[in-house]
Amino acid sequence: MNLIQNTKFDTFKMILRQIAGLLIILSYTMVLPLLVSLIYSEFYPAFGFLFSGIICYLFGFMLRKSIKTTIEPLNRHALIIAAVGWLSIAVMGALPFIIIAYATPAEVAQGFVPTFADYQSSLLYFRNPLHALFESMSGFTTTGLTMAVHEPSIGKGLLFYRSFSQWIGGAGFIVLALAVLNQSSGKVAFLLYGAESTGERLRPTIIDTARSIWKIYLGVTLFSFVYLVIGTYLILPDYSLTENIFDSINHAMTGQSTGGFSTLDDSIAGYNSKAMDMLYLLPMLLGAFSLPFYFRIIYEKEFKQFYKNLQTRSIIIACIFGGIILSVLLLRSGVTSEPFRVGIFQFISAITTTGWQTSDVHIWDAASVTFIVMGAMIVGGAAGATVGGIKIIRVLLIIKGLLWHINSFFSSENTIKIVKFNDKRLLPDEMNKELAATATFSFVYLLFVLISTFVTYYFMGAGFTITDALFESASAQGTVGLSCGITNPEMSPVLEVTYIIQMWAGRLEIIPILILFRAILLGTKPKVV
Amino acid sequence: MKVIIAGDGEVGFYLAELLEKEYQDITLIDKQSEKLALAESKLGIATILGDSTSYKILNQAGVRDADLLIAVTSVESTNITTCLIGKKLGAKSTIARINNMEYLVDKNILDLRTLGIDELVSPESLAAREIKYLLKSPSLTEVFNLYKKDLYIMGVRVDDDAPIVNKSIAESAHLLTNGSFMIVAILRNNETLIPTGNLVILHGDLLYFLATDNGKEKVLDYVGKKRIQIKNLLVIGGSKTGKYIALNLSKFYNIKLIEKNYEKCNYLAKNIPNVQFVCGDGANVNLLEEEKISDYDAVISLTGNAETNIFSCLLAKDHGVKKTIAMVENIGLFEYSQRMGVDTLINKKMAAANFVFRHILKGKVLSKLYGINAIIQEFIIKKNSKISNKLIKEINFPKNAIISGVIRDGKGYISLGNFKLKANDTVFVFSLPQSTDEIKTFFE
Repeated sequence: MNLIQNTKFDTFKMILRQIAGLLIILSYTMVLPLLVSLIYSEFYPAFGFLFSGIICYLFGFMLRKSIKTTIEPLNRHALIIAAVGWLSIAVMGALPFIIIAYATPAEVAQGFVPTFADYQSSLLYFRNPLHALFESMSGFTTTGLTMAVHEPSIGKGLLFYRSFSQWIGGAGFIVLALAVLNQSSGKVAFLLYGAESTGERLRPTIIDTARSIWKIYLGVTLFSFVYLVIGTYLILPDYSLTENIFDSINHAMTGQSTGGFSTLDDSIAGYNSKAMDMLYLLPMLLGAFSLPFYFRIIYEKEFKQFYKNLQTRSIIIACIFGGIILSVLLLRSGVTSEPFRVGIFQFISAITTTGWQTSDVHIWDAASVTFIVMGAMIVGGAAGATVGGIKIIRVLLIIKGLLWHINSFFSSENTIKIVKFNDKRLLPDEMNKELAATATFSFVYLLFVLISTFVTYYFMGAGFTITDALFESASAQGTVGLSCGITNPEMSPVLEVTYIIQMWAGRLEIIPILILFRAILLGTKPKVV
Repeated sequence: MKVIIAGDGEVGFYLAELLEKEYQDITLIDKQSEKLALAESKLGIATILGDSTSYKILNQAGVRDADLLIAVTSVESTNITTCLIGKKLGAKSTIARINNMEYLVDKNILDLRTLGIDELVSPESLAAREIKYLLKSPSLTEVFNLYKKDLYIMGVRVDDDAPIVNKSIAESAHLLTNGSFMIVAILRNNETLIPTGNLVILHGDLLYFLATDNGKEKVLDYVGKKRIQIKNLLVIGGSKTGKYIALNLSKFYNIKLIEKNYEKCNYLAKNIPNVQFVCGDGANVNLLEEEKISDYDAVISLTGNAETNIFSCLLAKDHGVKKTIAMVENIGLFEYSQRMGVDTLINKKMAAANFVFRHILKGKVLSKLYGINAIIQEFIIKKNSKISNKLIKEINFPKNAIISGVIRDGKGYISLGNFKLKANDTVFVFSLPQSTDEIKTFFE
């Protein structure tokens, strides 16, 4: 009995130790926003970042120092570490929001509000810890739903922190921890890596894989940044260059991570330019392609991957057709004067789970909303990218499974009913296994969306419909971040907590969260169900 | 010529048998003493018991002054190792039997020749190649490449309705137009005949032709065979040969492959595209009927069991399949199974032995055909030979031999009576074994 108690406690310590590492990484990520605050002479926010950074670091450092354990995580532990780790990151990551909101005097905060605007600084909303947690979770999970009603009014430092948190969260904290800390054994690294993302092994060791991922991620983001600066300059020559660079850095980061936070009050619509809408399509698409795909292109020079890679090909095709269908639906309903501009942008924003918005979804008709939910937000981009959703490859697998099932009736009984998927030939057993895992996940995913839709329906404000509820809950679950207005600082706390859980589950693909709940409720002993 | 053969399996034994007739100095190495005892008593050759990858054994076999070391055990790596060691110990030339096609195909990665293996032979791929030829001209019982892409030896069985039946060869000579093919041997009731002008062709004869590439089609006209186009192929048995066929021929045919072993079947199904795989017993009548055996144009049975192969082919024949090919390792079963109706028999070990044999005796005996008692020999006409600058019909050649095919300046020709021989021509002679010595006198 004593022995079991002991091991249980050791497991707990081991999990804490791993999380301590993540917190130390989190503290590092507060350095850059600190510098940005100083550049813009925002001294209260700078203090806030410094203070929260020190808290995070000390907390992580103390945990790490005080816990001495030699046991290594097992598979289930890795998943629990991912779940608890992301939750603690969101919690600790909320510190700068709260500290800055309290530390900044009201008149200084009001100074962040652009001239000629008559609203109150949105910074004040973060004095509510739940709002701060919501913003932090929405940031790190790359969702993009926000409590900052008027973005520019929270200060440049905090704006940068939001975007930066999405960028870091996009490629993954555990991947970052593996790349930077380099202290886990290969087996543990592999488990942790697998727990956070559906990524594949690109290099012989996971540490090298993690580093490659970060290099690629950084590279593509830099490309997006240069592209956006030049593009914005060409389209809007009168736009201030410093603003242009600030916007482009933030948007490159939130686009590549498919997060969708914006530095503008009305997201991309704030530019009021058709050309800018088109300019912003590419960063979203780049974010939806899987990182292993970039790896093949950049490191292994397999340029045929552009049309051979099933996910990349499918996303491009889905964007074209989905965009057109949505445009037609919008055209028929007549809710917007520019159905094609809105339809294509919003469809791509939804399927890549970015969440940049150019239209008020609240006024859309039910058909368009349902289509964008089913056809884009729930599907999502490529596995191995920073997107949310079920992931396009799973959807394709299920479709393939159906075709396979139907076709197998036409083969003789003893024929080996092989199925070709994603350049691989799968035996019936393998296909059934894949299908079972995929179908279970998809089912649970839809269940989450469904339950959340009902919660939303009962707690949302007046004037919203059930389709709005579906839209908002799918957006939170798929870490999309498009909003029809249900998400706002006045929303019910129950709903806010629901969305926080959904974003958390959505980023980690649900299963780690369920395993965590199982461990909390039933312990880690095996059980026949 | 001193030859060492490592591996007394069927290929090794058959090779030893072929070479022994040529009075070669042969040493056979194997790990099993019973096998060696049999070879010793039947062929009267020297044998050494032991592992051919051992320095000691190879030296004991006299590898230092061996002209040729042939490694034909069933284990590929043993063969390669034996050849590498043998070459270092002094063997002039080495031949290794391999299973892995990559060694044959991807020579730009590693050419085994540079390591000291002079020739690679893969019985499975030889058999597969033979099947490939047969499927292109399904009316043939045998196809055999004699010289590059120019000269082929083809076997065709004469049916009742053939225009040449019950006529002498001279009577149907007008059909032998433009010298693109000729008859070189006839197999009748297990007796081999060399054709003469007044020989009458009967129903059931198996005619052997020598043909140029474009003569292959004309042979079929001559024998009155309808052209069969093969589209659907049923392969029974996922052996190595079956695998090569599935891999290489799926571009040309719709292939279904039946394999009994579930694991193996899954493995093949996973790795070979565009082929349908069925897991089941090729000797199971219900299964074959369920798989609609009658819908296939050709059935190729390549399981490890000769009886199963013959049975499946006979069943296929009964269901109206036009072409059946069976892999039969036991040479004793050849005659009966062909008489019972299997169109073609393939023996990969004999194919391999013939391949090696041709490599060794360049310029001498070329090959033996299965079941037929004739030998093909190759000679070069010397400058002052008595037969150079003569028409073939002017030469008083032995009755049991026929000059059939000439290579001049790297191109193959069919040599009928009015063909004039020249010095430096390479000549193929088809003959019964008893005449071989007599023929040699013509070329000295």
